[in-house]
Amino acid sequence: MQMMRVFLKQKYLYLMVLPGLILVFIFKYLPMYGVIIAFKDYNVFAGVFESKWVGLRWFRLFLDNPMALRVFKNTLLLGLYNLVFAFPLPIILALLLNELKIEWIKRTIQSITYLPYFISVIIIVGMLKELASLNGLFNQVLSLFNIEAMNFFGRPEFFRTLFIGSGIWQNLGWGTILYLAALTNIDPALYEAAHMDGAGRFRKIVHITLPGMAGTIVILLILAIGNMLEADFQRVLLMYNPVIYSTADIVGTYVYREGLESARFSYATAVGLMVSVISFVLLLAVNQISRRYSENSLW
Amino acid sequence: MYKSSLGSRMFDLFNGLFMLLLVVVMLYPFMHVVAISLSTPEAISAGKVGWLPKGFNMEGYRYVLNRADLWIAYRNTLLYTAGSCFFVLLFTSLMAYPLAVREFKAQKAILFYLVVTMFFNGGIIPTFLVIRELNLLNTFWVMVLPGAVSAFTVIIFRTFFRAIPYEYRESAFMDGANDFRILFSIYMPLSKPLLATFGLFTMVAAWNEWFSALIYLKNENLFPVQILLRKILILEQFADSGSSSGVVRMEGNISPRNIQMAVTLVAMFPILVVYPFAQKYFVKGIMIGGIKG
Repeated sequence: MQMMRVFLKQKYLYLMVLPGLILVFIFKYLPMYGVIIAFKDYNVFAGVFESKWVGLRWFRLFLDNPMALRVFKNTLLLGLYNLVFAFPLPIILALLLNELKIEWIKRTIQSITYLPYFISVIIIVGMLKELASLNGLFNQVLSLFNIEAMNFFGRPEFFRTLFIGSGIWQNLGWGTILYLAALTNIDPALYEAAHMDGAGRFRKIVHITLPGMAGTIVILLILAIGNMLEADFQRVLLMYNPVIYSTADIVGTYVYREGLESARFSYATAVGLMVSVISFVLLLAVNQISRRYSENSLW
Repeated sequence: MYKSSLGSRMFDLFNGLFMLLLVVVMLYPFMHVVAISLSTPEAISAGKVGWLPKGFNMEGYRYVLNRADLWIAYRNTLLYTAGSCFFVLLFTSLMAYPLAVREFKAQKAILFYLVVTMFFNGGIIPTFLVIRELNLLNTFWVMVLPGAVSAFTVIIFRTFFRAIPYEYRESAFMDGANDFRILFSIYMPLSKPLLATFGLFTMVAAWNEWFSALIYLKNENLFPVQILLRKILILEQFADSGSSSGVVRMEGNISPRNIQMAVTLVAMFPILVVYPFAQKYFVKGIMIGGIKG
């Protein structure tokens, strides 16, 4: 009785959350449940419920497939290169921006470097193809060194560089925001004190500015490692072609082709699930290590 | 101001040069797109176009603006962008408000229900199958509803609503307003910066969205600009020399690259116009989100 009265009193509140609850149920929970087709032989006519169970058949099929090694290797390498080359750059840029003394110059450079983040991937890839075309900028630069013009998008050895490079171009500026935000929390008195003690500019950067960003760096590093296997497959999808699959085909694109182009729904779901589980374990592990050694963690 | 050492001044010099280089690298592709779109085919195929157009040629724009499918795509993108923005703000506010009310009984359970979705998701194939089972393929709804409520945004809205003094709600209650009135005429007007920030984020994301259109839409009349852009920019293989290809017939003074770069600019134009005004909201948004998460 008591509960009923509370419920009635709060009936509008329940009414308000209802649309959100339904949308989350349909678009988040139903697909989560749908993952069980990774263990079934999904049949369009039978549907998710009625399709036959097949245990780990799809997982075995994938692991026995020579493609598995290739897409795993490509995914891992893209993730690794991204971590090594793309992750540190916003930190360095934030440090350098912080050293600019004239406020309007700093703000202008920020505005310009943030811009690519808001441009669609299709346009980014389109611009890149233009720059990499036979008489585009890249080949013009090479011709200064008497190197013959080449078709960058037709050669597997260039794919990773193009992918990481265009990623850096798009995300470098935007990536500095959280670091710059962390820097505004540093007490200016620290710099004054260091100055009194005779510390030069570089020592201040190393001993005050960098430690001021350390917490943010660790948190973003944990997230980046957790995302290592989830490379931006939409961009890969726009950049690759069968000629360069040997370096460009990654798990995300493989799942897309098998699942949505060839309609092997169960198989593709199994492959996707496997990688998600590995990513999740990776995230848990890195978070645990960080909590033990640096007192920073996601939860 | 203290005297700066030689090393310090050298650092400033190199830092300045580096920033200049950075600005050049960031701006060149944009300038190059504009330059190519306006240059003559001869200059383009000779590879002479850099920062500035060589010659003057509006044929690319004329061709692009005469393509009927572009206008349809533009209309569709506007609808998806407006629709996404409307539903995100409406459903997120509706869900976040009760979660900000302290005595709301179901609060903990609902938060848990939301947080689960931050860690687990079904992946693209199961999501595709659900959408197909619901007969949402080839509809307007598939472009606006699936992303309308995200746990992360609801939690940020809730935090923001919680900062609004509770007395406002209580005294509005005394005056006989119900929770819907309170949300729409007190909470939402007080949260304008929040709504502007997330409205803009949603609009940019919706404007640039192409992957869901690729997998969920087969009907050409529903295609957004980005899909058309992909067709013209990435898939259509034009001959590099400017001679006619099978796909697009070249007449007179026009190169396929005029067309490609003109359509790029037409697709990018709204973002470039809004960006200078919207930038501060974006930065604010990432800060709100970045503090926790």
